[in-house]
Amino acid sequence: MLRSLTAGVVLAFAGSRANIARTILSCTGIVVGVGALVMVVTASDFGQRYAVTTSEVQGGLPATLQVEVSGEVTDRAALEADLLRVGGREVSLYQTPTSHPLLRTGQNVVTDMSVNGVDPDLSGIRRLDLARGRWFTDADTASLAPVLVVNESLAERLGDLTRVQIGTERWRDARIVGVLSDSSQDYSANSAYLLRSPASEDLIFGGAEAAAGPPVDGLPPGAGFGDPMARSTYLVLFDSEHPAAADPFGQEFRTALGSVAWRWGADVPAEGISAFRVDHAEAMREPLRYMSWGLMGIAAVTLGTGLLGVLNVGLVTVRERRRELATYRALGASRTTLFVAVVMEAVVVSVVAGLIAVGGSLALTELGALLVERFLPIPDSVGLYVPGGAVLVGLGSAALVGLLAGIIPAARALRASVVAGLRD
Amino acid sequence: MSVGAPSPGSPRTAAAPLLDVRGLTRHFTVSGARIDVLRDCTFQVARGEVVAIVGQSGSGKSTLLNLLGLLDRPSGGSYGFDGEDTTRLGEGRRSRLRGEGIGFVFQQFHLLERRTALANVGVPMVLGGVPLLRRRARARELLEAVGLGHRLHSRPHQLSGGEQQRVALARALSRSPSLILADEPTGALDAASSAMIMDQLLEQARIGEAAVVVVTHDPKVAERADRVVELVEGRTL
Ligand SMILES: Nc1ncnc2c1ncn2[C@@H]1O[C@H](COP(=O)(O)OP(=O)(O)O)[C@@H](O)[C@H]1O
Ligand SMILES: [Mg+2]
Repeated sequence: MLRSLTAGVVLAFAGSRANIARTILSCTGIVVGVGALVMVVTASDFGQRYAVTTSEVQGGLPATLQVEVSGEVTDRAALEADLLRVGGREVSLYQTPTSHPLLRTGQNVVTDMSVNGVDPDLSGIRRLDLARGRWFTDADTASLAPVLVVNESLAERLGDLTRVQIGTERWRDARIVGVLSDSSQDYSANSAYLLRSPASEDLIFGGAEAAAGPPVDGLPPGAGFGDPMARSTYLVLFDSEHPAAADPFGQEFRTALGSVAWRWGADVPAEGISAFRVDHAEAMREPLRYMSWGLMGIAAVTLGTGLLGVLNVGLVTVRERRRELATYRALGASRTTLFVAVVMEAVVVSVVAGLIAVGGSLALTELGALLVERFLPIPDSVGLYVPGGAVLVGLGSAALVGLLAGIIPAARALRASVVAGLRD
Repeated sequence: MSVGAPSPGSPRTAAAPLLDVRGLTRHFTVSGARIDVLRDCTFQVARGEVVAIVGQSGSGKSTLLNLLGLLDRPSGGSYGFDGEDTTRLGEGRRSRLRGEGIGFVFQQFHLLERRTALANVGVPMVLGGVPLLRRRARARELLEAVGLGHRLHSRPHQLSGGEQQRVALARALSRSPSLILADEPTGALDAASSAMIMDQLLEQARIGEAAVVVVTHDPKVAERADRVVELVEGRTL
């Protein structure tokens, strides 16, 4: 048996080397088919990673809920503790400062920019790719000056980051500790994260209190006169399996949070709490999946055509080779040996074609990566490359096609009688 | 240098004939009609014996040789090869026996067209699992023995008929068979080549102690045999 197999393999190699024309003819269809398959897998892998990264940069890791509480919050620490209590794993403030502060260096005021008040824990919720410097640490909250991390385009607009000031009419010195890299994943507008700390509290929340009017005797500030627009916004990270994550509108979560609202909020109605998913990787995965199924279908059809090509060449040559195969049998080849030889020959040819296809795909992808890098600034983790899985899928399907295309001719070849074959 | 490969595994007794053919028949059915080609063949061939089978064209000589070569199965009768009743053997064992015990020389040579003389001679040894280097060495040696030491890398179409048949002879000898079957080996050759081929065939068979069954209607070939078996209307005389 083993001897049959090895003899079959030796004959197959000798056969595909001796019959170059036959080999090349069989190859072409498979090269195109396997190439298409590898490229499709590569593209959908790239799309997937691009989508995930985009989602993590713009929204957050799965599953991130943006929680908004309308109305006056009297005890933020209690609210944040409750956000954790109802299932959140990480919580960060994500608040558009009511004072709408701007940044400037000297007389250079940047007006087209956005600021969000956040906590150091945001780094556990949202993907933050730092170009230089660092993200906030808890120690930064003790800083006497407001501490910021800005994105690259804002950093460029500001120029000298050591003399940045924050404010609107009243300016005060600010510290910039890090710069986030711009990429096609964020909107690349000028944006800054402002660390929530005693030094920045009034910038983030002060406007609302001011708008709420003077405190009334016996009531907490803002109560009763609270700005109906006052709104606290948080990003909360959940386990993907958490019920709150499964429910995009956060019904369960809202109810749970609403029932303890008395602990930290004055006059916060249940409908004043809203929650929704901001990570959209899953939402994007669906259309991406359909797209890659479509492409996969095209690749499969192409590969199928290649298979028919190899099969055809195989069948034609078996007819031609009846005499050759009968000769082998006369010389002592068993049916097994010849079956292995004919099938192996098809497999060898297909795998060689598959290797050529993979090589071509690698070259094309390399070229594509140069273009992507040029026109689409993306982080390294999203880089365009042929994933190992694509190579495996390509070579695997090449071998499978060879196997399929080899079995029918091999079975045919063995049906013919030796005597008849020798008489041809 | 000895180049003998192991001979078939079954035990031999000097007295037992190599081939023991008894009442062998073979008929074909062509569109419903039965054609009795071999009606009763009975004869024996001793080890190392040279037997010529003669008969008119269409008398069934090739059919008989195909049965002897285990390329075909008889309709009836028995065929003992080296003490084994071949009619009971499965396809795998018959292939093995063919590869190890029998060498073929065909009228049309049946060389593999795109392969060199060296590779052609090596094929039975590939099937027998002989390692590459030993295979090469033995093929070279055999080709030298039939006077083709200078044509090792020629392909069949680059060789004359006589040379091709010598390659085929070397191939038939490559696994030191105990039986060489030759179906009109000189039928496609001129007189000079024919004589040379027969010389070499008989010489190599003698060296390898192989029996030879040669189908021919060339009297010159027949007269060199130890014995002549005549086929008349599918019966041996
Ligand atoms: N496979 C077959 N089917 C039908 N008839 C056959 C077959 N093989 C041989 N024959 C017939 O058997 C007869 C003997 O053929 P063959 O053995 O080739 O004769 P020889 O070799 O003596 O010339 C011929 O009449 C031939 O037509
Ligand atoms: Mg004949």
